[in-house]
Amino acid sequence: MREELLWVEKYRPKKIADVIGNEEAKAAFVEWLKNKRRSKKAILLYGPPGVGKTTLVNAAGNEFGFRVIEMNASDTRSEKAITKTAGPATSFIALDTFSSESKGNILFMDEVDGIAGNEDRGGVSTILRIVEESQIPVIMAANDPDLQKLRPLKKVSALVRFYQVRIPLIIAMLQKICQKEHVKAEFEALERIAENSRGDVRSAINDLQSLAETTKTLTLQDTIVLSARNKDVSMDETLRSYFSAESLLEAAMLLSRSSVDYDDLLMAVGDNLPLRYTDPSDLAKAYDYVSQADMYRGRIGVENWHLLRNFFNSLSQAAGVSPQSYKPFALISPPIRVITLFWTKGRRTMLEAVCGKIGQRCHVSRATAKEDFVPYIKALLTKKKADAIVSWLELQPEEVEFLTKMNRL
Amino acid sequence: MAADEGVMWVEKYRPKTLNEVVDLKDIVESLKSFVRTPKVMPHLLLAGLPGTGKTTVALCIARELFGQNWRTFTLELNASDERGIDTVRDRVKDFSRYSRAAFGNVPFALIILDESDQMTGAAQTALRRIMETSSRTSRFILICNQSGKIIEPIQSRCAIFRFSKLDHKAMVDHLCCIAKKENVTLTPEAAERIVDFSEGDLRHAINALQTASSYKDGVVDEKTVLLVVGEASPIQVQLMIRKALYGDFIEARKMMYDLIGSFGFSGSEIVRQMQRELFKMSDLTPEKKADLSNIIGEYDYRLTQGANSDIQLSALLAQFAKVGKTQGENS
Repeated sequence: MREELLWVEKYRPKKIADVIGNEEAKAAFVEWLKNKRRSKKAILLYGPPGVGKTTLVNAAGNEFGFRVIEMNASDTRSEKAITKTAGPATSFIALDTFSSESKGNILFMDEVDGIAGNEDRGGVSTILRIVEESQIPVIMAANDPDLQKLRPLKKVSALVRFYQVRIPLIIAMLQKICQKEHVKAEFEALERIAENSRGDVRSAINDLQSLAETTKTLTLQDTIVLSARNKDVSMDETLRSYFSAESLLEAAMLLSRSSVDYDDLLMAVGDNLPLRYTDPSDLAKAYDYVSQADMYRGRIGVENWHLLRNFFNSLSQAAGVSPQSYKPFALISPPIRVITLFWTKGRRTMLEAVCGKIGQRCHVSRATAKEDFVPYIKALLTKKKADAIVSWLELQPEEVEFLTKMNRL
Repeated sequence: MAADEGVMWVEKYRPKTLNEVVDLKDIVESLKSFVRTPKVMPHLLLAGLPGTGKTTVALCIARELFGQNWRTFTLELNASDERGIDTVRDRVKDFSRYSRAAFGNVPFALIILDESDQMTGAAQTALRRIMETSSRTSRFILICNQSGKIIEPIQSRCAIFRFSKLDHKAMVDHLCCIAKKENVTLTPEAAERIVDFSEGDLRHAINALQTASSYKDGVVDEKTVLLVVGEASPIQVQLMIRKALYGDFIEARKMMYDLIGSFGFSGSEIVRQMQRELFKMSDLTPEKKADLSNIIGEYDYRLTQGANSDIQLSALLAQFAKVGKTQGENS
């Protein structure tokens, strides 16, 4: 037997009983599979990723001696492709039954919600036809069964719902793996991995493996990178490859493929630009591109998404202003704006409150008060007769102190 | 109340009647006729630069219509503070509901909506509806800097009055008048200086005068005025410009974020202040100022087009840093 590199594959259960969690769903599925006079020829297993849908089907095939013919999202599923793979399997059932080992075939279509509109033209309707004509059981799995395009499939199938696997079950599973892999792990560390996975066994095992790669004794401390990885890596990675991109095309492709939020991306690029370009002319040129990208973003608003291409183009231009000067540098994150606004919130609210009081008294808006009155009142407060102003504006002592000590505006 | 308002001179010497208003003869004459026969008064739109007397005129109208009770019959709203049309709508509705209208021969209550050009197009459309539904019980006085930013349907419902920059001499006279009442000796040069500096904005001028008078007892001369002007100038903005021109982009950007964070300025406010401060910087040649001013203008436009003001401001500073660098190489 060949050695599996990925623990997810290595420890994939071979028997139904070893699949953890979702006992009800398992029972419902097994009953449907065993029943020769099933009312519905197809069954749709649905639920979040990594809870054991695929594993269960393979384990069941193994245990009951079915041959599982599998198609998943990595295959194209246009009408032609499906008919080619599934067609023979569903009609030539008779031949297979002669073989002593196999009790027959089951057709398993994994990730049916991944059937895309264009490349998989006619995909759903073909599956539907196969379900109708098929002599053998058809099993489908999906994450999101509410999709409009899957509605016809739901009509002809029995539905079995899978839930997130409970944390203690995942911990037990991780413990078993650690034992076999000779990894010493703190219980708290495994607990954190399990919680972080949100009931997704596959990602929990993947996380465990990647953590165990660096150390054979896993502590809670080691798991701190986990949550950060789920969120920030993609932004950091996007930026890194963006700034080191060797051609405009590469940068543009990369940006359009990244799952990072466009507005965050724009801000992060803006934050990091001065670290990338130290020459003022380069920097000005790069910022000019980013500024144009921002204008496209403004025009896109919430509906003109066809302009997104221009946004990416302008933004990728900014990465290639002077390719010869590229040196790796430490990225700024989190965004400067967020940090600034966080640290200065107290001062800002105080100033707003003061401006509100001035506005009330002097018939102006807070913005006008800030620009036209605060500089003068600040100067007046340091002089004599300040008391009259303080009481007239009903300023609190801390507001007076704030104004007199405020940076010169 | 009189003693109460004596603290800030801007309020203390704010004209109480239309007759006292500085330098707006034509406007005042037509407004007076409305006050005499309130029945025919339409909605008003007062447009013009800051500190030219729009709010003052509106408050004068309220006083002359309702006398002592003007506060009861006047709703004063500021569109740049009351975010969202819903607050405006609610407050206007509440105000007109309790039929406070009809005071003497005045068949309506008055709603003063300041800085109404800050409202979005959608909010203005809603406002137009409010103006229609409440027209039986209330009159609006809309105040704005640019009448172009007010949607056509509202403009067509209003009598429009344009306020131009105040006359130089009238401002000097007014300052001298205030100084006299406050027993402050204001030298003629100092008065000229203040008026020059405030660019036709009387509010600025009076604030500067009051601040200057607190420096030295009873005397305001040219030196104190310059001191006040320096003190009250947005130093932060000038420093930011200097840092950028010096080529220190990162430091300049830090100051930009300080303006945004600590003072809560918006992108367009910062750009406007940069424009203003640029011309006060005496060490730059007029040509250089013109170049930089062009750059500011370009990015002021981009701000209105873009989605993220930080990006546009940073890009602007980067352009300044580039100009600063080429300048350094030449000299």
